[in-house]
Amino acid sequence: MIKNYLKTGWRNIIKNKGTFAVNITGLALGIASCIMIMLYVSDELSYDRFNEKADEIVRVVFRANVNGEEMKEAVVMAPVAQTLKNDLPEVIDATRLAKSFNNRLEYNGSYYGQSSLAYVDPNFFNVFTLPIIQGEQKTSLDKPNSVVISESLAKSIFGNTDPVGKTITVTNRDEQLNVSGVMKDMPKNSHFHFDLLVSTLGYEQAQKTTWMESDFFTYLVLKKGTAINTVETKLPAITKKCMGPQMMGAIGKSYEDFQKDNSLGLFLQPLTDIHLHSDFSDSTTLEQGGDIKYVYIFSAVALFMLIIACINFMNLATASASKRSKEVGIRKVLGSNKKQLIYQFLAEAFISTLLATFLAIALFSIALPFFNQLAGKEIEFSSLLKPVYVLSLLGLIILITFLAGSYPAFYLSSFNPLNALKSKFSGSGKNSGIRSGLVIFQFVISAGLILATLVVREQMNYIQNKDIGYEKNQLLVVRNTYLLKNNEDNFLDKIENDPRIANMTHSAFVPAGESDNEVGGIFLNGEFQRRMFFYNIDENYIPTMGMELLQGRNFSEEFGDESDKVIINEKAAEILGLGKNALGKTFQRDTNEGLRDITIIGVIKDFNFRSLHQEIEPLILKKNPYGGVIIRSKTADMSGIIKNLNEDWNNYYPKEALNYSVLDDSFNHTYLKERKMGTILTLFTILTIIVACLGLFGLVTFTAEQRFKEIGIRKVLGSSVSQIVTLLSKDFLKLVGISFLIAFPLSYYLMNKWLQDFAYRIEIQWWLFLLAAIITMGIAFLTIGIKSFKAASMNPIKSLKTE
Amino acid sequence: MLKLEHIYKWVKSGGRRIFLLNDLSLNVEKGEFLSIMGPSGSGKSTLLNVIAMLDEFNEGEYYFEEEAIHELKPKKQTEIFNQNIGFIFQAYHLLDDLTVYENIETPLLYKKVKSSERKALVADILDRFNIVGKKDLFPHQLSGGQQQLVGIARALIIKPKLILADEPTGNLNSKQSDEIMQLFKELNAEGVTIIQATHSESNAEYGSRIINLVDGSVKKS
Repeated sequence: MIKNYLKTGWRNIIKNKGTFAVNITGLALGIASCIMIMLYVSDELSYDRFNEKADEIVRVVFRANVNGEEMKEAVVMAPVAQTLKNDLPEVIDATRLAKSFNNRLEYNGSYYGQSSLAYVDPNFFNVFTLPIIQGEQKTSLDKPNSVVISESLAKSIFGNTDPVGKTITVTNRDEQLNVSGVMKDMPKNSHFHFDLLVSTLGYEQAQKTTWMESDFFTYLVLKKGTAINTVETKLPAITKKCMGPQMMGAIGKSYEDFQKDNSLGLFLQPLTDIHLHSDFSDSTTLEQGGDIKYVYIFSAVALFMLIIACINFMNLATASASKRSKEVGIRKVLGSNKKQLIYQFLAEAFISTLLATFLAIALFSIALPFFNQLAGKEIEFSSLLKPVYVLSLLGLIILITFLAGSYPAFYLSSFNPLNALKSKFSGSGKNSGIRSGLVIFQFVISAGLILATLVVREQMNYIQNKDIGYEKNQLLVVRNTYLLKNNEDNFLDKIENDPRIANMTHSAFVPAGESDNEVGGIFLNGEFQRRMFFYNIDENYIPTMGMELLQGRNFSEEFGDESDKVIINEKAAEILGLGKNALGKTFQRDTNEGLRDITIIGVIKDFNFRSLHQEIEPLILKKNPYGGVIIRSKTADMSGIIKNLNEDWNNYYPKEALNYSVLDDSFNHTYLKERKMGTILTLFTILTIIVACLGLFGLVTFTAEQRFKEIGIRKVLGSSVSQIVTLLSKDFLKLVGISFLIAFPLSYYLMNKWLQDFAYRIEIQWWLFLLAAIITMGIAFLTIGIKSFKAASMNPIKSLKTE
Repeated sequence: MLKLEHIYKWVKSGGRRIFLLNDLSLNVEKGEFLSIMGPSGSGKSTLLNVIAMLDEFNEGEYYFEEEAIHELKPKKQTEIFNQNIGFIFQAYHLLDDLTVYENIETPLLYKKVKSSERKALVADILDRFNIVGKKDLFPHQLSGGQQQLVGIARALIIKPKLILADEPTGNLNSKQSDEIMQLFKELNAEGVTIIQATHSESNAEYGSRIINLVDGSVKKS
């Protein structure tokens, strides 16, 4: 019997090639997107799961609200790990990691440039599952200055010789590291990646006992089955005990006083949440993570596409019901019961789904490299062959078969045989009501996605063109001229005398991309106010960057030593309660030698020195030029300047290549996540529309066929082509119109939520709705119009003769 | 075999009843070959549909082999129909996508007859109707007469007790008609009860009894 179902199903498919092609193409696109996003999502969800203790490991994080400043940091103080391990019975083990910046390696006279290096506690390998392939797993970090290096670094430095026992030098710190082991490269889906893990035993920072400085990523292993909440509730007491005594000395307030207006505390974050659920400030983040929001968005989009494709299936099947009603009638008279007919139609749906799945897998394998590039993933085709995916795919096939096939199956099989034989089903009435509902649903999704895409594009445009308080074009950044040591001045002089250069400033503080970072406490009359960002600049900074001085003056050489003078931004003036009278006011800033007076000599217009996701924070600019150089070119073409910089650099510092960046690019890179999301969203929106339009095309084709004779009669009676096109299109376009009423409020609501991620964002304007409506309507009309025009242009005699 | 008593069937049009069957009573004995004649719209097809339990009636009683059909649920009616009755259409109503062989086999599939038995039954009937050579052709490759032969073969495959034929030769020429009628006669001789609706006097003559239908009731002759 099953053979018979499949045979009839197949013959039916051959007979209705057109409808079938629409079904298969739509379904294949839907399934391919589903597979793609399924792999993407499961890759996102797999982060850090490779650790055997993944479910027991938590990270200790710090959150505070101090005088209106919200602090979210993924690093905590050096003694936290040991303290929690000692004080809490639930904590089995605790380990720390401190990221080190600027690590230039040298071995045997060869230089290896920047490497990723972290200091970790000796028990690090007991907590994280990072297999050691040479050396001892347990004892490899037991000695000061011992280092475990990654397999790929070992290969690039030592080739095929055994690295264990050799010594590498970190040149910029003159630190000697003894290689005690080689570990496998860290898996892609880890929230950190380092090539060198150095023991904290010789690391001074790690021995500190202060609870006033945060430097360490701290991970705890909890007893199996421990609820995070129960441990978290014990943390405030420990914080109070350890931090309390140190508070007075550091900020001039007791812990009790401090807690009256402020809050602060340690919290726990499950290891597996780190990748997708982190909101910590950039400076305390190991690597830019993913975002659970995008996982949700993409999952929803994939699901939508699948539903739309299934709806096509249902609509086309029920629409062509009248064609098949005769068959249903005969079969019923021949003794078929309802169940057997349902099976038959499900079998047809199954064949289509199966074929669509094969097509989808082919599409998937073609599109995978492009998708990987877009999403920044390295998903392999072979990962699809894992049992879990094969099973999900089978489940998907069955699900789609039922989703797409059940409505037509039940609908068609319920025909009364007599009516069916008389073909009394013209696809009208209740059935076409449901079909209209489904078309509306499809276009709700399509129109909604179009609006969403437009909003994303508009926001990205806004970011691109927003007045950010400085001129970001034609700026070239070299952040490590300090490496040149004695030759730094020569290097800078040469730049200054270059006629192609408009201006330059000696500073490594850059408002976009990688930048030096300094945060310090501001005090008034010895009392802590709040922490503020500091920029170390010279007198050329403000003119070079194109920033605007609102009050007072810039730094100037004629005033000699100005290390006690500062320029602040508007926000700082506001926070300190100075209003328009900031000039000449004196505060204190925290330094290693205690509090130092600083006097305000100028107020600068606010500029966005952090990403537009965040509000502008108070900023203090002080004169202390060091580190790097920012160059403003006279022309947009900076290749000549870069070429000369390269030559000079290689003269002075051949150990390492020049490392420069174009500020505009760094700025764009900040919004890479959103940009990628925008591109993927655009792509899937287009696909969704194609699938929805395929369905619409099928329905119009069907309607035109059904009204073939009517069209002929109308033409004979003198109807014009355009009147007939209108006749065929207007019902469908009405449905598209109705879909806007549902799609736009929904999309507006969701996109407003997305926009909340940006402190600086657009308002969703009325014309965006209009544009989305025009695009959707336009595409729909084009789809319908082509077919109706063809039907309308037919010679009327032809259509009348067929009767 | 079956007994209809005071059957009424009507449709409503503008608040008025239009009678399709009007106080119709009919008795058909086992082994009869009944020809129903009458002009268009006299209710021939409606009557056949009612007998086949494909259509409902509004009033009256219907007994099929002592079973009170009017008291049964539709599902049970369908079951009785499927077990006992073969239906032959004027327009043949073959399944276009299936071959001759598959068309004849389909009722057996629905009755869940075993594959080997199916083969034997279909082979027998193909043989008997002399259409073995056409078994792999599709309906559109056959002439009208051949198509109707397949239709009859398909109706007979389940060995029905009763064959209902609605203008079985309406689309055929007179030679083909005669062949079909001859076949009916043979079948009847083998014990199958046949009820046919027809326009044609000559076809009606093949029957063992003729009734005339006018305005939904049997004309007293």
